[in-house]
Amino acid sequence: MDYGRRELADRLAAEYVLGTLRGPARRRFMALLSAHPALRTAVASWQQRLLPMAEAVKPVAPRPIVLQRLQAKLFADTPKPVPQGWWQRLALWQGLSGLALVGVVGLAVLQATPRPDAPPIVVVLSANDAAGAGVVPASFVASLSGDGSTLVLKPVKVTSPDAARAFELWAVPPSGAPRSLGLVSANSGATIRRAGLLRDTAAFAVSLEPQGGSPTGAPTGPIVSLGKVQL
Amino acid sequence: MSTPANLPSTPDNARSLEVAKLLAQVALGDRAAFTALYEKTSAHLLGVILRITRNRETSEDILQEVYVSIWRSASGFDARLSQPTTWLTSIARNRAIDSLRRRQTQPMVVSTQVQGLDDGEEHDMLQDFLSGDAGPLEQLERAADARALRGCLQRLSGEQQQAMALAFFQGQSYSEVAEHLSQPLGTVKSWVRRGLSSLKGCLERTAPGTA
Repeated sequence: MDYGRRELADRLAAEYVLGTLRGPARRRFMALLSAHPALRTAVASWQQRLLPMAEAVKPVAPRPIVLQRLQAKLFADTPKPVPQGWWQRLALWQGLSGLALVGVVGLAVLQATPRPDAPPIVVVLSANDAAGAGVVPASFVASLSGDGSTLVLKPVKVTSPDAARAFELWAVPPSGAPRSLGLVSANSGATIRRAGLLRDTAAFAVSLEPQGGSPTGAPTGPIVSLGKVQL
Repeated sequence: MSTPANLPSTPDNARSLEVAKLLAQVALGDRAAFTALYEKTSAHLLGVILRITRNRETSEDILQEVYVSIWRSASGFDARLSQPTTWLTSIARNRAIDSLRRRQTQPMVVSTQVQGLDDGEEHDMLQDFLSGDAGPLEQLERAADARALRGCLQRLSGEQQQAMALAFFQGQSYSEVAEHLSQPLGTVKSWVRRGLSSLKGCLERTAPGTA
C-alpha cells in the first residue's frame, strides 16, 4: 500500500484515531508512524478533532490498589521502612561511642579545612531517545567546579532548533520543580556562575522551549538531553 | 520538520496548564508529580478504557500499563503539538483498543455487570456531548474546539453519528458495528468514512475559536 498518498494516509489516520483501524492494518500503521512525520501530523490533527468527544465519558475512580501496584512497579527502589537493627542495641552503642567521637573530631577538622581543590565534576547529558517525534537530537557535557559555583555546558552533538525555539538548561532536584539555569546556545553552549548549582541537584536537563525560554517557569517542551549527577 | 499550523501552541485553561506542568516534572523523574498527575487524570482515563473493554479488572490492568508508559515517555510529550489531556487520552485509547485483539481470541462475553454500561448508552453519550447539557463539556480543555466538533457532528446523519459513536466510545470494529446495527458491513464502512470526511470538511470551515 502506498502510504505516500495523502488521502489514503489521512483516511487511515482518521480510522486509527476513531478506533476502526484494526488487526494487522493497525499494527502496520503504528509501525509506520515512527518513520513518517506526515502520518504523525495527520494523526495529531485527527486526535485534535475527535478526542474532545472523550471528555463526555463519565470518570470512574480506580481502586487505590492500582496506584499502589503502580508505585511498587515503577519505584521498586523506594526506601523501605528501616528495620529495627543492631545499631539500636545499647551495649553496642556504648562500645562504639568512643569511635564515634573520633569520627566527629575528624569530620570537624575536615570541615574546617578549605577545599579549594575539590575535584571538578563532569555530567554527560545524553540525547533523550524517548523524546521521539520532531525533536532535534542533542547531547551536552557539563563541567562543574567542585564547589558547585560554575557550570560550563558544551554542546557535543547538537542540531540547532528551528528559529522559533531555544534550548533551556534545568537543574533537576530529586523531587519538586526543576530550576531554570537559562538558555543554551546550540553552537557554544553556556557558562553559568551561580552559588549552589549542585545543591539539591540530582540531574541536569535540556528542554526545547519557545524562543526566549519557558513561559511558565517549568519546562514545557520535550526534554532533549538529560544527565544524572553522580558525586 | 513539519509542524501542523492548526495545532495548539498553548494550553487553553488552568487545568490543562497544570497537567502540562505535571507532565514536565514527570519527564524529569519527579515521583510526587507523577502521583499528582495520576490523581488528577486516572478517573477520566479509566472511564475511557472501561467503555472500550467493559471489564473493570482488565481496565485497571490497562490503566496501570498506561501510567507505566506515561512515566517512561513523558519526556516525549511536546506541549506545542498536543493538549496534555489529548495526549494522555490517546495513550489510554490505544492501549484499550490494542487489548481488544486479545479479547477477540477469547469467547466474547457480553458484560452486564459493569454499572451504567447498558446497550445504547454509547449513543446517549454522543447525545450528551451533542446537547451541550453534559457537565463535563464546560471543563473541556479546548471549549472552542468542542463547540465546533459538536456543531459539525450534528450535521451528520443519525446513522453516521451512531456508527461513529459505537466505534469511538466502545471501540467496536466495523464488523461489530455492522452486527450491532444489523446492517451490511459495506454500508457501515461507508457511513463511518463519509462521516469522518464530512466532519473534517466541516471543521476546516469552522475555525476554532469562532464558534
